Amino acid sequence: MAPRVNVLPVFRGLSIRSRPLAQRCIAAQTRQLSTIDHNSDAAQSENTFSDALRARMQTYGQSFEKKQESEPSEGTERALTENEIALNQLQQAAYGLNPFDPETHGHKFGVPTLPISRDMNQKRRYDTVVEQVTKLLMKDGKLAKAQRDMAMILNHLRSSPAPKVNPTRPLMPGPPTADQLPLDPVTYLTVAIDSVAPLIKIRKYAKLAGGGRALELPAPLHQRQRRRWAFGWILDAVNKRPSRGSGRAMFPTRVAEEIIAVVEGRSTVWDKRHELHKRGTAVRANVFSTKLRGKKL
Amino acid sequence: MSAPLSLRCLLRPSAPVPRSITAAASTPSPWTATFSTTASAQKDGQKMGTPKKMSAKTKGSVSTHMNPTGKKQTMAKFKKNKGAKTGKPPLPGERKALRKRIQLSNNNALPVAGLVELEPKDLLDPTKVGTMVALPGEMQDSLRTLEAFKPTQFWPMFRQPATLIRSETVDLIAQMQEAASKKQMLRAVITGERITGKSLLLLQSMAYGLSKEWIVINIPEAQELTTACTEYAPVPDTEPVQYMQNNYCLKMIQAIKKANSSVLAKQATVYSHPELPQNIPINSSLLALLNAAKEPESAWVVFQAFWKELMHKDATRPPILFTLDGLQHIMKISDYRSPAFELIHSQDLALVRLFCDTLSGASPLPNGGAILAATTRGNAPRSPSMELALAQREAEQAGTEPPAHEPYFKGYDTRSEATLKSVKVMKVKGMSKLEARGLMEYWASSGILRATVDEKAVAAKWALSAGVVGEMERASLLTMRP
Repeated sequence: MAPRVNVLPVFRGLSIRSRPLAQRCIAAQTRQLSTIDHNSDAAQSENTFSDALRARMQTYGQSFEKKQESEPSEGTERALTENEIALNQLQQAAYGLNPFDPETHGHKFGVPTLPISRDMNQKRRYDTVVEQVTKLLMKDGKLAKAQRDMAMILNHLRSSPAPKVNPTRPLMPGPPTADQLPLDPVTYLTVAIDSVAPLIKIRKYAKLAGGGRALELPAPLHQRQRRRWAFGWILDAVNKRPSRGSGRAMFPTRVAEEIIAVVEGRSTVWDKRHELHKRGTAVRANVFSTKLRGKKL
Repeated sequence: MSAPLSLRCLLRPSAPVPRSITAAASTPSPWTATFSTTASAQKDGQKMGTPKKMSAKTKGSVSTHMNPTGKKQTMAKFKKNKGAKTGKPPLPGERKALRKRIQLSNNNALPVAGLVELEPKDLLDPTKVGTMVALPGEMQDSLRTLEAFKPTQFWPMFRQPATLIRSETVDLIAQMQEAASKKQMLRAVITGERITGKSLLLLQSMAYGLSKEWIVINIPEAQELTTACTEYAPVPDTEPVQYMQNNYCLKMIQAIKKANSSVLAKQATVYSHPELPQNIPINSSLLALLNAAKEPESAWVVFQAFWKELMHKDATRPPILFTLDGLQHIMKISDYRSPAFELIHSQDLALVRLFCDTLSGASPLPNGGAILAATTRGNAPRSPSMELALAQREAEQAGTEPPAHEPYFKGYDTRSEATLKSVKVMKVKGMSKLEARGLMEYWASSGILRATVDEKAVAAKWALSAGVVGEMERASLLTMRP
């Protein structure tokens, strides 16, 4: 139902006001309106609103009144009529405010509490390491199988005894202690992979070392690359690991056993990392090679 | 700068230098060269005695698994044979044993506070629906012997095996109790969709039977009897010929003995059994009778004698619970062949025949008890007769018009239909939200489900799985978001 009161003054005032003024202006206008229209027959007009709509309108009116209470007001408070509530809303809209309560209006299930956690996004629902590693497990594009395998790996980590960490093969600093790892399999996996991840790779410059040989230089790796190298090595070790059983759980079991071996320092992957680091340290001597002048590094 | 000193820059600050690095440093190596150090030099160095040699394949690459170098791939059939694998191959049956291994505890899982041990009256109490009860230690052993636990269930995740009391459980156990109190026999088929908990319902019935000191006999996988994977031989003097499966019978007798030893020790024989290889005098215990089966050759005879004793009507004899999982497999022609190379019907196998006769009511249990068969939906052959018979029984129970045979379909099996002529059908459906909540709270308090269990979370998983318990487990326990 359209309000019967003339709304033109509202529209006239809306354009030049700046936003900080809006709230004060609304309060003033409302006060004015309430004194003018107190006895107007608009209040006694025939009620065509449905009950539900009226209830909603009143709640909006009340919330608006609460805002008003903070300001010094003269005169006594009284309940606003429907027309006035509608007008108030119109005025709020005019001043660039949202007249409706965003918590309830237009949301069937309400609004979520902010900030939304990272994994609430459908495309980022898994942990970064888990997601990357799952795709590395995948063969022939069978992602669902890889995901099932990953779930089985995590379950195997959960149900096997806590690892005994080898002090000569130190893990990443700062993870939870070894006895807490099994109940948090994602951290278990992350610790294993990050601990054996190499820091560098060897980059080769063809034919620069003389005699047709490549000149080798160490090059740093990004975190994602490091994890890829590490898990590639783990998968190589897994493929060499003999399968003691049969069935679809066997591959995930072998991967999980290799991950446990990494954390316990038994895995050959540690040697690979060590070798690569050693070689990288050695070929640092080539960094200032004159052969590299003019090359894009 | 020497190599080991340089290598320190790549080590973790907290880490000591591994011994192998310092050992390598003591020997003069080409790493100390101050100028060009290339691949060839490194190769020489490795020859001279670096402790570990990287394989040529993996030296510079990420992994051979992912083939990052873009190396040309060869088709599998042109690949060279990598040569004989070293190491001892697993013995026959070892791989299967590992696959079928049942792990019933996980020390990493948290102990659940307030989890009570199962008591037979709990399984009958409708107010206990939706609560978890732990299986006591002795019962675990008996159930394990009876092969009531399946490797596909999620037992290895929790500290101790526990089971959810469902409305179906209370329903079934109440019927079992009623039948036993009247010395009658409950003949029922448990059916339902995949992973709705049919096998677990059998497990619960066995748990009840064991705690009430019934004699519990279980055939954990009917397919082991009919897929021609165990030895068979004709039973002499039978017309039409029946076939006994002695190896399987021996295994079953040993399970019965181990699971029911205390009950069997109290029961005495009333017949003399001259056909047995060993003289069992009258009034010796049933355990002694079963002990006569030491070789597979005598297993079937002993089992027959044992069954004859159980069929003796006596007030002191306990009720019997006979269960079978995978009903479809015994409702069809088996994979066995007769000497004339004709396929043998499953119900011509003596043990299957015994079960089917009891299930159909042709040979009732005089001392009461229950005979339960569960269908399987995972690895089941088609059995149109069984499906039809179960649909008919269900319709009769509901008081509606039972479905009729398809007139032009030839695949029906009259013997199977006759077996299921008068059984009771119990349909296992999805759980209620109350039951789902009980289960999820148990998972969460075990530390396995790392989420707050509130109404919203329960409703989400319940809606995702339609209340089917196995689907709920898959959605909550077999996931990449633990």
